[in-house]
Amino acid sequence: MDFSTSITFNGLIQQFLIGLSRTTILFIVSSGLSLVLGVLRIPNVAHGSLYMLGAFLCYTIASFLGASSLGFWLAILLAPLVVALVSLAVERGLFCHLYDREHLMLLLFTFALMLIFGDIVKAVWGSEYRSLSPPEVFQGSLSILGMPFPKYNLFLLCVGPLVALALWFLTQKTKIGKIARAAAVDRDMVAAVGINVSWVFASVFVIGCYLAGLGGALVAPTQNISQGMDHTIIMEAFLIVIIGGLGNVWGALLGALIFGLTASMGILVWPQFSIVFPYAAVVIVLVFRPKGLLKATW
Amino acid sequence: MRKGLAMFVAVVMSFMFLVSSVSSFAAGEIKVGIIDTYSGPPSSYALDVLDGFKLALNKINADGGVVGQKIVFVTRDDKFKVDLGLTAAKELIMRENVTILMGTINSAVSLAVSDLAKKEKIPFLVTYGKSSNITGAKGHKYVFSMNENTEMIGKAAAIGLSNRPFVNYWIAGDDYEYGHAIADAVWNHLKKIKPDVQLMGQSWWKVGEPDFTPYITSILSSKPDAVIVATGGAGCIPFLKAAKNTGFTSKVPIYMHTGTELSTLRPLGLDAPEGVIGTSNYYFYYPETPENRIFVEEFKKAYGRYPSFGSLIGLYTANFIAKAFEKAGKVDSEKFAEALSGLTIDSPVGKLTVREFDNQVMLPMFMGVTKKAPGFDFLIATDIVTIPADELMPSIENIKTIREK
Repeated sequence: MDFSTSITFNGLIQQFLIGLSRTTILFIVSSGLSLVLGVLRIPNVAHGSLYMLGAFLCYTIASFLGASSLGFWLAILLAPLVVALVSLAVERGLFCHLYDREHLMLLLFTFALMLIFGDIVKAVWGSEYRSLSPPEVFQGSLSILGMPFPKYNLFLLCVGPLVALALWFLTQKTKIGKIARAAAVDRDMVAAVGINVSWVFASVFVIGCYLAGLGGALVAPTQNISQGMDHTIIMEAFLIVIIGGLGNVWGALLGALIFGLTASMGILVWPQFSIVFPYAAVVIVLVFRPKGLLKATW
Repeated sequence: MRKGLAMFVAVVMSFMFLVSSVSSFAAGEIKVGIIDTYSGPPSSYALDVLDGFKLALNKINADGGVVGQKIVFVTRDDKFKVDLGLTAAKELIMRENVTILMGTINSAVSLAVSDLAKKEKIPFLVTYGKSSNITGAKGHKYVFSMNENTEMIGKAAAIGLSNRPFVNYWIAGDDYEYGHAIADAVWNHLKKIKPDVQLMGQSWWKVGEPDFTPYITSILSSKPDAVIVATGGAGCIPFLKAAKNTGFTSKVPIYMHTGTELSTLRPLGLDAPEGVIGTSNYYFYYPETPENRIFVEEFKKAYGRYPSFGSLIGLYTANFIAKAFEKAGKVDSEKFAEALSGLTIDSPVGKLTVREFDNQVMLPMFMGVTKKAPGFDFLIATDIVTIPADELMPSIENIKTIREK
């Protein structure tokens, strides 16, 4: 039992900010998962695979376009779009025929997709680790309160709120968002007023998967791009969605904040047993609010 | 309906015939069964071993094989899982009639297969499992370690680190057997050589942790003199990447066992930090002997990449196998095990011996520091110090006492 005794105020702030930048990734990925879960009622186990695909595509596009910063930015833009296209093909080609089936079938289907995507990634990129450098402007670290803070994490800190804002705008202010919310509550009623529910589902699915791809592309410069990154993220994303409230995008934000911040603060407070913290937080939330913090759409 | 059934039976029968004809091998061949992880991240290490093994085997067979027979091999994927590895080992012994077994990067698989090898009296050459239990507490006549082990790493690291001026250490690593074994071995030996070292604290993360930045910043806020990083294969690369992004290594020196190895540095390209202290049993650019130069050249010609430590293991394992059969004089598992124990061969890193007492191969270790170098698109090790094999071998007395327990 050795608690870290030398916790300073600066250290706390630093650790908090680092935790927030990790939260950004968790939020982007789990909000996509939550969106699909809320509207389509599909627990998309393959969501993590799309995240992995986004990271690999980002790597490939960036290295194809050369080492310039422009290549990196184009990759961040293009990789999630390619993921979205793939998911559109999957939805139109396969998923849309299965909506009437029971949940277990859909779950099994997404599980199969996860295995297939995993093997595709292995076949295309092989089993070696890949690494992508952040663009020149975001390489290295800044000094914040006398502690080094990676510049790229600062960039992530700015992206997080932007994505949240865009999601808010999409779900609250646009027509498709309103229809999607209505379809989540009662899809038969939406169909009855003459709206093509099938296409609403397709667009929501594609947006959800786009977010997975975006998360993967954004995370690529901070870690190694390898097989297995799909499993890690899907576990965390599901936990976040569950504590936030199934299908609630703001629940995903809240869940990601709880998960990401307890993880990073735990590392500072008790580094030897830091693994426990985020999971303990999940348990505590579920003991008091078994249906999640915010209202579930289910 | 009946026709369909007949068809089905015919197909099944012909399939079974096909399978059985594949597994019945031609006489006059020595069969080696390889169990290793050929899927998922660890497969890059396993494939390096296999490629080095194939390179040496082609040469041996082109020269007519050993005792008049060619050496052939079959591979099985254990997917890094104990049950699959054990099933594969049984299958290789029962159905494929292999004379010897080799492989397993996962120490847990190594120990499980070793148990089976003991029962079946089939020699088993562990190529990448690094647990010191393989030839230590759980050692026996039929198991051989072709790799260094955590004890040896710990001793070598302690010898190297004790020459540096660090006093206050922090330990961080993967929260599983290998991570703790490495950390304990380094720390216990270091404490023995240099009693005034202090342990400030420890961080342990789960295997497969994607983002190390929060761990690094929390360690930095404690300001240790140096950090011992005990990560296995998959953790090294993202850790070094985060270390570079945070400027970690320019503030605090870190020691990481595989930190200077090609398998770690090649995938990182120029994203690896300079100044990482690491131990390794092999660099393709060191030692600069003619034998090593020839090996690097041949390997590069065959596979289009530089050989890693894994490739070297594959190479000398094949040569050990050939020489042991030659010494045994015939294809016999029992005689092979007796012949391999105590055997010495030439290798790119000098003469290598399998220690007779515990069947542990005696490997020298090199400690170096990462640096960018002209002509390479990845970092290499510089300021290399050699720690000879006999200084870092686990003591025979120790093994005797552990085995008696």
